[in-house]
Amino acid sequence: MNDINVVLNGKNIKGNKGEYILSLAKRNGFEIPSLCFDERLDPYSSCFVCVVEIEGMKNLQPACSTRIMEGMKINTINEKVFKARKTALELLLSNHYADCLGPCKQTCPAGVDVQGYISYIEKGMYHEAVALIKETNPLPAICGRVCVRPCEVACRRNLLNEGTAVGIDYMKRFAADYDLFSSNKYKPSIPAATGKKIAIIGAGPGGLSAAFFLRKYGHEVDIYEAAPLAGGWLRYGIPEYRLPNDILQKEVDNITEMGVRIFFNQKLGENISYKTLKNKYDSLVLAIGSQKGTSIGCEGDDAINCLSGIDFLKAMELSGKRYDFKGKTVAVVGGGNTAMDCCRSSIRCGAKKVYVIYRRTEKEMPANPIEIHESKLEGVEYIFLTAPVKVNKDKEGKIKSMTCVKMELGEPDASGRRRPVVVEGSEFNMEMDYAIAAIGQKTNINFLEDINTNCDKGELNATKWGDVDANPLTLQTGIASVFACGDGVSGPATLIQAVAQAKIASLSCHQYLTNLPIQPLQKEFISKKDNFKLQIAEDYVGKFLTQMREEMPTLNPKERNNFKEVELGYKNEKIAQHEAARCLECGCVEYYDCDLKKYATEYGAEQNKFQGKYNESPVDFHHPFIEIDNNKCVLCSRCIRICKEVVGANALGLVNRGFDTYVAPSMGKRLQDTTCESCGLCISACPTGAITENVLFKPGPVKLDKIETICNYCSVGCAITIHHKNGFAMKITGREGIVNTDGNICKYAKFGYTYINDKNRITKPLIKEGNKFTEISFEKAFGIIEEKIKNVKADENVFFAGARLSNEEMYLIQKLARAGAKTNQVASFHYLNRENGLLNNSCANVPFNQIKEASRIYLLGSEINMDNAVVGFMIQNTRVKNNIPVELITNKTNSRLINKVDKLLQIKSYYYFVKALNHYILSNELENKLFIKNNCDGFDKYRTNLLKENYSELVKKAGITNELVTKFAQDYNKELNAILIFSEKELSANACQEIFNLSILTGKLGKTANGIISLKEKNNSQGLLDMGISPERGVGGISITDKGLIEKMKTQWGINELPQSRDINVKEQLHQGKFKNIVVFGEDPIGCAIEPEAVRNWFAKAEFVVVQDYFLTETTKQANLILPASFPFETGGTFTNTQKVIQKFEKQFQSNMEYDSNAQLIKLIEKFGIKGVIEPSEVISEIIQMLPEPNNTKKYSFAETTDENRCRLFDYGCDALVKYFEDKYVELLNNEKNS
Amino acid sequence: MKYISKKDIEDIKERYLKKASLIHKHIVICAGTGCIANGSLLVYQAMIEALEVTGLSKVVDLTLDIHEDDNSVYLSRSGCQGFCAQGPLVTIFPDEIMYVKVKPEDALEIIQKTLVKKELIDRLLYINPSNEEISKGPSEIPFYNQQNRLVLGECGKVDPESIEEYISHGGYIAAEKAFNQLTDKEICDMILQSGLRGRGGGGFSTGQKWELTRLAQSDKKYVICNGDEGDPGAFMDRSLMEGNPHRIVEGIMIAAKAINADEAYVYVRAEYPLAVKRMKKAIEDAHKMGILGSHVFGSKQHINIHVMEGAGAFVCGEETALIGSIEGHRGMPNRKPPYPSQKGLFGKSTVINNVETLATVPLIIKNGPEWINSIGTEKSKGTKIFALTGHVANTGLIEVPFGTTLREIIYNVGGGIVDKTVSGETIKFKAVQMGGPSGGCIPEHLLDTIVDYDSVIATGAIMGSGGLVVMDENTCMVDMARFFLDFTQKESCGKCTFCRIGSKRMLEILLRITQGEGKQGDIELLEELSEQITKSSLCGLGQTAPNPVLTTLKYFKHEYEAHIRDKKCPAKKCKPLITYEINSGKCTGCTACKKACPVSAISGERKLPHLIDQSLCTKCGMCYSKCKFQAITIG
Repeated sequence: MNDINVVLNGKNIKGNKGEYILSLAKRNGFEIPSLCFDERLDPYSSCFVCVVEIEGMKNLQPACSTRIMEGMKINTINEKVFKARKTALELLLSNHYADCLGPCKQTCPAGVDVQGYISYIEKGMYHEAVALIKETNPLPAICGRVCVRPCEVACRRNLLNEGTAVGIDYMKRFAADYDLFSSNKYKPSIPAATGKKIAIIGAGPGGLSAAFFLRKYGHEVDIYEAAPLAGGWLRYGIPEYRLPNDILQKEVDNITEMGVRIFFNQKLGENISYKTLKNKYDSLVLAIGSQKGTSIGCEGDDAINCLSGIDFLKAMELSGKRYDFKGKTVAVVGGGNTAMDCCRSSIRCGAKKVYVIYRRTEKEMPANPIEIHESKLEGVEYIFLTAPVKVNKDKEGKIKSMTCVKMELGEPDASGRRRPVVVEGSEFNMEMDYAIAAIGQKTNINFLEDINTNCDKGELNATKWGDVDANPLTLQTGIASVFACGDGVSGPATLIQAVAQAKIASLSCHQYLTNLPIQPLQKEFISKKDNFKLQIAEDYVGKFLTQMREEMPTLNPKERNNFKEVELGYKNEKIAQHEAARCLECGCVEYYDCDLKKYATEYGAEQNKFQGKYNESPVDFHHPFIEIDNNKCVLCSRCIRICKEVVGANALGLVNRGFDTYVAPSMGKRLQDTTCESCGLCISACPTGAITENVLFKPGPVKLDKIETICNYCSVGCAITIHHKNGFAMKITGREGIVNTDGNICKYAKFGYTYINDKNRITKPLIKEGNKFTEISFEKAFGIIEEKIKNVKADENVFFAGARLSNEEMYLIQKLARAGAKTNQVASFHYLNRENGLLNNSCANVPFNQIKEASRIYLLGSEINMDNAVVGFMIQNTRVKNNIPVELITNKTNSRLINKVDKLLQIKSYYYFVKALNHYILSNELENKLFIKNNCDGFDKYRTNLLKENYSELVKKAGITNELVTKFAQDYNKELNAILIFSEKELSANACQEIFNLSILTGKLGKTANGIISLKEKNNSQGLLDMGISPERGVGGISITDKGLIEKMKTQWGINELPQSRDINVKEQLHQGKFKNIVVFGEDPIGCAIEPEAVRNWFAKAEFVVVQDYFLTETTKQANLILPASFPFETGGTFTNTQKVIQKFEKQFQSNMEYDSNAQLIKLIEKFGIKGVIEPSEVISEIIQMLPEPNNTKKYSFAETTDENRCRLFDYGCDALVKYFEDKYVELLNNEKNS
Repeated sequence: MKYISKKDIEDIKERYLKKASLIHKHIVICAGTGCIANGSLLVYQAMIEALEVTGLSKVVDLTLDIHEDDNSVYLSRSGCQGFCAQGPLVTIFPDEIMYVKVKPEDALEIIQKTLVKKELIDRLLYINPSNEEISKGPSEIPFYNQQNRLVLGECGKVDPESIEEYISHGGYIAAEKAFNQLTDKEICDMILQSGLRGRGGGGFSTGQKWELTRLAQSDKKYVICNGDEGDPGAFMDRSLMEGNPHRIVEGIMIAAKAINADEAYVYVRAEYPLAVKRMKKAIEDAHKMGILGSHVFGSKQHINIHVMEGAGAFVCGEETALIGSIEGHRGMPNRKPPYPSQKGLFGKSTVINNVETLATVPLIIKNGPEWINSIGTEKSKGTKIFALTGHVANTGLIEVPFGTTLREIIYNVGGGIVDKTVSGETIKFKAVQMGGPSGGCIPEHLLDTIVDYDSVIATGAIMGSGGLVVMDENTCMVDMARFFLDFTQKESCGKCTFCRIGSKRMLEILLRITQGEGKQGDIELLEELSEQITKSSLCGLGQTAPNPVLTTLKYFKHEYEAHIRDKKCPAKKCKPLITYEINSGKCTGCTACKKACPVSAISGERKLPHLIDQSLCTKCGMCYSKCKFQAITIG
């Protein structure tokens, strides 16, 4: 038996012989972390993060490469193991000079994902941007106007010569306004009601935010506000020229629209008591703000017209009237943002002269620099290094003047700013009419008693500064059900700090209400470059393109004698997007997927524990798709190993030794100059962000949604996942599918996705008028098509279906032709002229998963690493792991496979080579007679005819010596598990036929790990043969004259008669111009033709051409009517791969087209009054009804061929998509070469 | 090609010995790398000329025909004789007179006086530094007579480039016996019974290794001789390869027979050009003679041996890395299991043995397992070769039986520490570093530890491949740990986390301690890292890299503390922590120090006390060594 008994963490467990501890543990639910382990590769053991303890062994053992043994006692997690793993991670992190997050997000008190929303703005996805911002900040339009922007201070753009940060707040404002004024603004989803009720005191930024977050948990939220309107300080403190009331109201409305109620003029402890609230609500959140103004604090500050800034601003908002300062002199004392609001408002109240008196210098002013700048523009004068000592009143008690002293700066104080010191004897007098003190605020907690007398348990306290006392981590107060946030807790602070606190208090409150332990979110590990060194200009200058900031347009200073908003906002999307491009993307693109970060968080690792030398290297952006950032590399070598063991390209290697080791393309070249095949498997292997996709857009990183589908490039049929946000694809990964069982994918799938984001996609039918296409409705388009088809003889219509379409689409197309247009003229350019020779190709193929059991693999006419790379990976892996030789037979002198095979046979003609082999086998009677007798038809005739041919002539035409043919034939015939792999792209139909003959001649066909594998060009080439895309064969590939099929067609389609015509040579008819209407679905014959002029002529001869595609192609340009096509994941359906594996993919995304491809066909068929399905999802059942019974008694037939002909007429599988990618691929690789 | 038989071997031996019997005197000039560097080849040339001058009939190649002559002198070059500090060495047989530090100009005198007149030249004889006694030859020299040179045996006697001479000393008899009288199982059993353990450092039972490989299922098997001797200061393998390459070839053949391998590799550092040359020549000669190649000694087995030159990575001495290196990959260890016996070179079962181990094998086959079993301790059988260096009188290559104490090695063979302080006292012993850079320091109170695998490990050091560095009290143990860690850290292949980054971090800590920037907690951090690196590194390099730190922390922790806490280097070696000062009471104003100072940091008038400007002083110590009045003190 293969069972092995082990004790895993004290549990008796059975394992399999040869199994590694890591996989055994995983199967039993013990996740062991590892960075260097990759299921696709041999164990390597470099990271040592997976160590476990095995009883009786001195050292800890890496679980990834230790096989279990009978009686082994394994501990996958204990203190020793935990410590070792943590140390390993800390050592790795000590040389991980990289940022997980940009400084913007790290600095933001609320942790707003700046880099993420900028990436949305760059793509014009403003609702998504707002949704992202609102995960942490529910007031983006307000914040976009009045935030103090610590993010911009931290922005690394500041370090570039241009000296200004990215306009983060400006962009936020743009996105927020866009969303606010759009008809489909972002609305957060609210989960089912929890039944819990919360009262919030105060509708300022803290209270509004807390309401937002708590409502999002599904709780019922009411706000009690003392003032008559919502907004708190936002409304009563910030003047309208900075934050217009309508913007504020809109964001308040957003919150009330979520179901939050606000009760106004309700003051806790005055007209509403805690007692009432306690009985009505489950919890209370105090968001009371800090609203008490402070006076100047010197003798005479009780003078009339000596105001506190807060009262000054609030009075105007409450009364709706501004102060009349006409001809007056106003002095504002203070240097903060309130001082700015006061001085600038004073100007707007008509003051003759406005001074700001500040005891330090401008450099020390806490106010936002932009405010200082604007105030100066508006005429405010600054008197620095000055402090009031006395207010002098007139006899009415009104302020007359103020006595001030001069100050000088001394030693730095606790705040780090230099302390102002009075200059002796420097007193002087300033005349003034008003003095406004903007030197601080106090919190008013006169409701304490009300609460404490009414609460049952606990006590609400004040801090020594007079603020509400709450746990700084959870913001829970001394009363378990009462939480607090905002200025009322922290003392006067900023809007964004209030928002940040609201989020914390909301979480704690939610935890309280759901009986969870009240604790802050676990702090995730964040790697920071600043942990290694302070970032300086030299680290950035010259490494990024210079781009000046899009400045904020403002109201002309001369037109500011009012409270109109000064900042006007970015004018249009172009400007916002242009500014978005300035983001340096400091944060790591793998933020959400990095294993190192995940484990570092799990194990509480610290980056500074083992500080020392670290390696800093420039990021390698040379390759157009793959970027290498060695700063993030942990030297797990997965990239190197997958490139060697799976791809066989060996394009990467380790350079240097010891601490200086790094990963680089081989021989010091640029990656694209090595043997790299751009498959991107290295990216899939990297556990951190060291090898990532080099994308042209800003990837965020943002959390993406997934579409699971089947690749629509080649015929292998790999399962893939499209990672996207609202249809914008940002990344493709492989999935463990039926075919690609280990989830590997190739460059087409990995990088060939940008078409999904292409803005030039056709979404409406287009009719050609003159030389221009104009949009028309689907109904109209269908009408035109119907009319055109009916107006000519049935067989003057021809229908083409492309090999990328789903089986369902193909089926509907031939139904449209046969039932609707009453013609059998249905074909595919893809197979035009050669379909018959390829019919046998997929018959009894060796399943891909048997490749690893081969004893020898022959690649005959298959550039497998380029065209069907995933099968190439299977071959290469077999070759490396099992030492199975691979032999290449090619007519190419520059095949890139040469480095990846063990033997090379250079020939001139595949066709004659195989025919010579067959001739040799027959003339030497080496054929498998028993197999032929039992399983084959037509042998004698084939034998007789072939032997008539001149063997020497065949060998000569094959372009190889007789000895080599002889040797090959003998060896191949003898080989026990010979798998011969060929592709339709490289071989003519006749060559394919002769390979089939060879496989039955030697009796290899259909045996385990023995026989042939044919590779088709497109994802659904096989579907064309199965779905009746042929003038002579219907569904199931059976003859159109088959009685059973005829019966089925009649019943299923509800028709009495089927078309009779049998002119099967479609190419000849095209050539002769016999078709008046050509209808093409999903093919680009003109763009892909090997001889485009000939094909163009075929189309020129037609009267009316209809083409359905995603984009404008060479063929659509020739069309009279263009129909839009939908992407596979927008319709759902099935593809049949080259081995006849039928794979279903679901409709997972709604296209913005009125009719998707399937629905268009159903509509068209309806036009002709044909019965059948109405719902696209039902097509498959109709197809199944049409299929013939499986026939197991059918024999293989030998077929004679005459010469090397019936080659393909089109490149790229006749699919514009393939051409689109390949052209781009070549261009990008070459572009890079030139640069 | 024709193979050679036992009779052929015996014939060659007989013919050669017959010729040798015609020789009157035999002069052996040491041509090991050390002696060559000191000019021994020039001495050889001078000897030839001197013989010509004196008219004695000289013979330089015994394979050529020689005539009977009363005065015939056979002049030969040998491999390393071990007493490297005294080279070039010239030994005259049969009288066994050994001349040391011979110069070419001494040649004529040696011939005329010693050969012709039979007089000794006292000047060229070895004088024991501890008692000033003159020794005539090896039997009187403690360095030699305290040793038991079995494996080194003919090394230093035979001409390494002459296969006939090797055969004449009984060479290839063991191989012949293995092929014609023993089965593979019997060979493995003999090696197992002999108790032979791997001399590369691991000490794994060689017999067990062979038996495992013998039983392994593999369509092809390999023998690898590991000659990638990388420890600084170690030259055991080199001396064997240079001095007696045929013994190694013979050992490989026996191993190949034992496991049924037909191909072998000798992996030699490219930095050992002479070893490469001599191994290649030995293999070539053995081929030419029909010893190697097809149908070895008439058996069905073929053996081909290749010499592979290593590219210089220390870690290639680790067996999986060495295998990778032969296969053409980056020299980087892989995880074991699978062991090479299961999956070795090119995926085939492989025996990989160190040079010294393989050189011991023919002796076991020839003399039987009981013979070696009778030497050594219970668990460590036979002898061990060491490269004895450092602060001892006699440095060089030595071989002693397991069970000898370290004290015996250092004081009897090595002659102890003879250096004196400025004031004339003998400098005290501090520690002996054993086992190469991954080894450990053994302090004075453990000097009676016997040399065997287990006793050494108990001290915290390791047997290693045989490095023995003796250190006197002027050695700073922190700096010493830093030195060795610097070596291993640089030689890390970079694969596993703990070795790549962990050892780097340890080195950084040691560096800052020696520079006077040590912090509280550094010792704890060193201990933590040492423990983790030892426990969780992929290969031996990493697992043992912290050893120098661990053992010095164990025995000399106070030195670390002095560096960190007091900012003092007790051995006064760490420059940033010492100051040179002039004791004005003792200074005579002779100006010697002032003249010697390369940075003009010393000022002072003649006959008046001088002064050192500390801001200029680079602490080179020139003044200290020049002062004749002990007026300069190190603080």
